[in-house]
Amino acid sequence: MNQSAQAESREKAQSEAGGGLDIETLIGYILLGGVLLSLALLLTGLSWHWVMTGHLRLDFLIAKTNLFQFVRADIGQALSGDWRPGLLIKLGIAALLLTPYTRVLVSMFYFALVERNWKYTVFTGVVFSILTYSLLLQ
Amino acid sequence: MSTELLFLISLVAGFIGAMSGMGGGVVLIPALTFFGMDIKHAIAVSIVSVIATSSGAASAYVRDRITNLKVGMFLEMFTITGALVGAAITLAAAQRPLFIMFGLVLLGAWVALFLRRDAMPQAFTRQDAFTRWLELEGQYDDQAAQQTVSYHGRRAYFGGPLMFGAGLIAGLLGIGAGALKVLVIDLVMGLPSKVSTTTSNLIIGVTALAGTSVYLAAGLINPGLAAPVILGVVIGALIGTRLLVRLTNRAVRLFFLIVLAVLGVEMLLRGIRGGL
Repeated sequence: MNQSAQAESREKAQSEAGGGLDIETLIGYILLGGVLLSLALLLTGLSWHWVMTGHLRLDFLIAKTNLFQFVRADIGQALSGDWRPGLLIKLGIAALLLTPYTRVLVSMFYFALVERNWKYTVFTGVVFSILTYSLLLQ
Repeated sequence: MSTELLFLISLVAGFIGAMSGMGGGVVLIPALTFFGMDIKHAIAVSIVSVIATSSGAASAYVRDRITNLKVGMFLEMFTITGALVGAAITLAAAQRPLFIMFGLVLLGAWVALFLRRDAMPQAFTRQDAFTRWLELEGQYDDQAAQQTVSYHGRRAYFGGPLMFGAGLIAGLLGIGAGALKVLVIDLVMGLPSKVSTTTSNLIIGVTALAGTSVYLAAGLINPGLAAPVILGVVIGALIGTRLLVRLTNRAVRLFFLIVLAVLGVEMLLRGIRGGL
């Protein structure tokens, strides 16, 4: 098959999959967006810390926590206007952890609502439940 | 350890990891422990960085429609369970067995790399009923060969449980364990190697997230240390991916065989001798 025919068949497959937004595009951009957001936050946080203190050393542990408490505490701090380099770095880590989690959640809804494939809705549901459970661990 | 040194180590680890296709963790963890970081903290920081490199690479492969999402989502059920068990074992384990395990996995990877043939011919066997029920098949455009490749998976009943083991090692040692995942998808389930590597890449992200959740709950994640490591590994991996096309395969392979052997023996000896 030549390339234009390939492109044509791919486009056809895409439009059959329901509109312009198929699962591959959706997942691809969730992963890309999440990682870029995380890297931008980490880089900004580190640079800000360096500008303020003149060194890069930044050593703090997150107290034993789970992802949801961690995200809630960070958002609370951001809303209270207490912006610091450390907060940006914590938000960067949170964005990174939420990236694959969001990917699984969106896939589950896609299989359930768009493809109406119950088998894969159950599979992604199992993955989502195990992840949610593990992210609630403390 | 200074942030600058941490960044530099991660940059080199990400670079070697991408160039060899083995991921950053296998170099990162031995190097961090060599410079005095506790192995459990090194494992925890490494597994967070694995999420970044895996998701970054997967985003491109998924959009190129080479990754088989159904294969990925079926196998993820097994790898995340394995990763949770693996990470829990690490928390409970003493340091020395972790060094020994890491050394053994590196030497195992050495053997796999040494024995690897470039293209593994796939003998066609009939697709079993379970794999057909799972809809594990697909096609992708091979741009180099300018053709569409169709394929059917097989033996999913065997591949799934094996992936539990790959996930266990990933969670236990804080690495992607991509080589192991590729081995299962490629050899056991019979998918083309391009599909195996890209699908393994997608699975690595959620598997690492499951492992991370355990280390987060244990208070082992240090954002101040994780930030330069994540940035370093990702930038190193980007450079490594760019350079990969310019080096001959043989040079990369030989280089990595040496790196794996040195790191494997070193980790093993540190575990056996104690005095970490």
